[in-house]
Amino acid sequence: MTTITRPPAIPGTPLAAPTRRRRRRGNHSAGWLTYVVLGVTAVLFIGPFYYMIVAASRPMSEMVQSPPPLTPGPNLWANIQTALNQQDIGRAIVNSVIVSGTVTIATLLFCTLAGFAFAKLRFRGKKVLFGLTLGTMMIPPTLGVVPLYMVMAELDLAGRLSSVILPTLVSAFGVFFMRQYLLQSLPDELIEAARVDGATSLRTFWSIVLPIARPGMAVLGMLTFMTAWNDFFWPVITLNSSNPTVQVALNNLGSGYVPDTAIIMAGTLVGTLPVVVVFLLLGRQIVSGIMAGAVKG
Amino acid sequence: MTSTVPVRSAPDAVPPPIPPRVAEPGPPTWRSRLFRWEAGAAPYVYVAPFFLLFAAFGLFPLIYTVWVSLHEFRLNSEMTWVGLDNFVWLFTNEKFYNALLKTFTIGVLSTVPQLMLALGLAHLLNYRMRARNFFRISMIMPYATSVAASTLVFAQIFGRDGGFANWMLSLVGLDAIDWRNGDLTAQIAIAVIVTWRWTGYNALIYLAGMQSISYDLYEAASLDGASRWQQFRHITLPGLRPTILFTVVVSTIGATQLFGEPLLFGGGTPNGGAVNQYQTVGLFMYQQGWQYGSLGRAAAVAWVTFLLIVVLVLLNTAIMRLRTAQRLSGGDD
Amino acid sequence: MDTRRTRTASVVATLTVGALALSACGDGASDEPAAAGGTTDGRTTITVALFGTFGYEESGLFEQYMEENPDILIQYESTQGEDKYWPALQTKLNSGSGAADIQGIEVARISEVTANQADLWTDLRDTPAGERVGDYVSWKADAATTADGKVVGLGTDIGPMALCYRSDLFEAAGLPTEPEELAARMGSWEDFIALGEEFQAGAPDGTAFHDSAGGLYNAIVSTEEQIYHDESGELVLESNQAVRDAFDLAARAGQSGLTAKLEQFVDPSWDAGFGSGTFASIACPSWMIGYIKGKAGDAGSGQWNITTLPGGQGGNWGGAYLGIPEASENKEEAAELLAWLTDAEQQAAVFANVGNFPSNTGAIALVGDTTDEYFNDAPIGEVFTTSAENAPTQILGPHDGVAKNAMVQALLSVEVNGVDPADAWEAGVSQVLNQVR
Repeated sequence: MTTITRPPAIPGTPLAAPTRRRRRRGNHSAGWLTYVVLGVTAVLFIGPFYYMIVAASRPMSEMVQSPPPLTPGPNLWANIQTALNQQDIGRAIVNSVIVSGTVTIATLLFCTLAGFAFAKLRFRGKKVLFGLTLGTMMIPPTLGVVPLYMVMAELDLAGRLSSVILPTLVSAFGVFFMRQYLLQSLPDELIEAARVDGATSLRTFWSIVLPIARPGMAVLGMLTFMTAWNDFFWPVITLNSSNPTVQVALNNLGSGYVPDTAIIMAGTLVGTLPVVVVFLLLGRQIVSGIMAGAVKG
Repeated sequence: MTSTVPVRSAPDAVPPPIPPRVAEPGPPTWRSRLFRWEAGAAPYVYVAPFFLLFAAFGLFPLIYTVWVSLHEFRLNSEMTWVGLDNFVWLFTNEKFYNALLKTFTIGVLSTVPQLMLALGLAHLLNYRMRARNFFRISMIMPYATSVAASTLVFAQIFGRDGGFANWMLSLVGLDAIDWRNGDLTAQIAIAVIVTWRWTGYNALIYLAGMQSISYDLYEAASLDGASRWQQFRHITLPGLRPTILFTVVVSTIGATQLFGEPLLFGGGTPNGGAVNQYQTVGLFMYQQGWQYGSLGRAAAVAWVTFLLIVVLVLLNTAIMRLRTAQRLSGGDD
Repeated sequence: MDTRRTRTASVVATLTVGALALSACGDGASDEPAAAGGTTDGRTTITVALFGTFGYEESGLFEQYMEENPDILIQYESTQGEDKYWPALQTKLNSGSGAADIQGIEVARISEVTANQADLWTDLRDTPAGERVGDYVSWKADAATTADGKVVGLGTDIGPMALCYRSDLFEAAGLPTEPEELAARMGSWEDFIALGEEFQAGAPDGTAFHDSAGGLYNAIVSTEEQIYHDESGELVLESNQAVRDAFDLAARAGQSGLTAKLEQFVDPSWDAGFGSGTFASIACPSWMIGYIKGKAGDAGSGQWNITTLPGGQGGNWGGAYLGIPEASENKEEAAELLAWLTDAEQQAAVFANVGNFPSNTGAIALVGDTTDEYFNDAPIGEVFTTSAENAPTQILGPHDGVAKNAMVQALLSVEVNGVDPADAWEAGVSQVLNQVR
């Protein structure tokens, strides 16, 4: 992969005729104002996470003082130990990885397929079916737990990870998202050309749709993973602390009439850290996945 | 199919075209019949997984909720048929209308600024810059921070005695506000929490959408002398339209179902404040179903909420389609 | 590029299959849901599911029982919030599977259990736990007994009411600080209010006499026998003068600035108030002691003291029971464990470790002379024992939760939103009537 370096685009001046090259992402260069805005935003967004570290490392009574302390204290390791003793957070993390990972992979696959169908393929009943899909998104989730548990108990799945995985394996959100994304980024001409050339839908999907969908899939994958990781209303009902996901385990932390918020924060830190670390490490890949989209025209 | 023809263009720029096949003469072979069958059946196969799973795990809860809404039902007690009584109770209940109003106001407060901020942030993130990865990862941090931890922080920020917000107010000489007990102030506080949590989420969605807008368009526009703002308005926004529609619809649905943030702002109680100043419909339903145990009434609320959302979404799509039609006929693009 | 994508695809496919397989066999092998107990290597497994406040695990009682009974394996799990625990339990009871052998029941739920769910729970009289039935404070045991005498739960802890106060702040305001002196000054709730007004006159700025009108109201009604329902289960909220009087008194206190206007348990300023002295007194069930220690920290040691409610009345706030769902398959062994856990010695051990006051009369005798250094060596054992003995047998009813919630909300609106007490009362009552019609 060779790149021909070119001087940064200066608006208004004619550019040298662009030759075919690996297109460097990023049109304009960021000014100082951009850095300031993004910097402030980053501080605001990361602040509470930092505060979680502070709260996890100090005794509970210090956190209710006003003004509250802003720097970490000495108890972090001790609190983490206590939290790990109270709940099997290690096993919970493994379970959550299994659940979130499976859901993410399945969602990416099925939602991209369905999104492609709704976006670009012609078939009878498309509008109705898509309307139905959207409709399922509008059902309030909190009530469904009672009948859902009944179903799971019938299938003898209650308490198992499958009971948490199966209902969220494909989501209307994902279908809708991929449909919009493909509508926007997949030109009809490409599909037509492929059809004319005799490609089956499957082949079209594989060779044309997937590469173009990659940025959307990267974002959908990330969001799906996080949503699955943070999901707790249903898992708390069906799972218990012998087979928990992270949220279930964290929900069971603390005991007594006065839950020790420092322990809870320490446990939450341990439960959230894997996700954050993964995104820090893979962030480069994911972000460049977002960036390396195919280009129209 | 055969292997791809080597392409001289740089990899990853444009997907390689499928090499042409020799046209098949004569009567339709089984192969071309298979091909046509595949083209017809494929869409149904592709959307099938979603509907199958929904039929298995979504349909029964739905029907069950309808059934329950026509009964008076406390879990593990008897179910007594009451017909439409629950709905009558609902529509003559002033708390319900209060919840609807609050949902609307909090919804507007938390959705409109959020989406605009997200759009702006995505645009900024699209620039070439240093530490790009860091900024982009920071977008998802609020969503990754657990709800419990972030609620703790915001409860402290909006605390009456010694909260951060009141401290800032005192710096400019204003009196401390009792955020959680005031009407508008509590709604603003919740809107801030929701905005904080979801802006980065939507910014990343917009960012992904922006990747599919060709840079050449921007180049051409800047050659023509268009300012960055004009480029944003005339290239970015139209190109993002499907994505914007998506975020508007999803945010609307999310705003109508808003229940986690107000629940936790209220310390885990679904009252929504002393005078229900921030009790959303979602919270109202949760209170009926899980605090008071009236599942029948909660189911009725769920169904009315559902119909409400359907109406809202249809309205939304109609408006957007209207504006698209206007734009197209106006030739603004 | 084709090969790369094919490779990615095969990786993804393998991962998916692997993950699904892992979840399937991972579940089967080691993660049997802790629902039905069974026999593991010759031992009987008893599952115990509680919410956060019981203190058995912290006191090492499960370990001890397993040591003394090597043929029993206890699988314990706890959900921190009772408000998450109860929906989960109800859902499991509803579908007939998934509940544990022993489940905790909070006192706020017990009347619903006895009224509507009696057939879902085992009658403990028919089990080895039956011999314990008479060991508890009478009003505690009565609440878990159905109309036809079926006993669905044995009492664990109770929350006898007292009054906790900041002796240093009282001193600064010129009030007496010794518990006996204060008790002598407080013959009635009116006296309490008068004391409060005296406090406000001499108190430092930013300190209120009491924490919240709602808390005061709850303290007053906890000493009443009949609150929201009468014996036949009818709602008497509107007609019960005792409730109206308590409401008016608390509203008066709220309006005249005697309270710090804080919503209990949910307002972070309330949490902060323990240490920062925003309020000088608080209605104190026995478990509030732990709250005070946790929130005020070491800095608060020696600043607090405790005395009886005005007039030496007794009341109760909180507490729980242990019950055995009818669907359990190990009723015998579970009942034996239940009986042991609620026995005098064990309840005394829990009190020593986590501060939950016992409901077993034998245990109460054991802890009668406990003192607490944090509270200036106050004889907390004695104070709470007296309160428990004086507490009336309260009539519980199905709409208690709705009524209590509405009343506390109404009082809060008087405090912070300036609503007129009469209007607030009307609003609260109509809210309750609207909910229960």
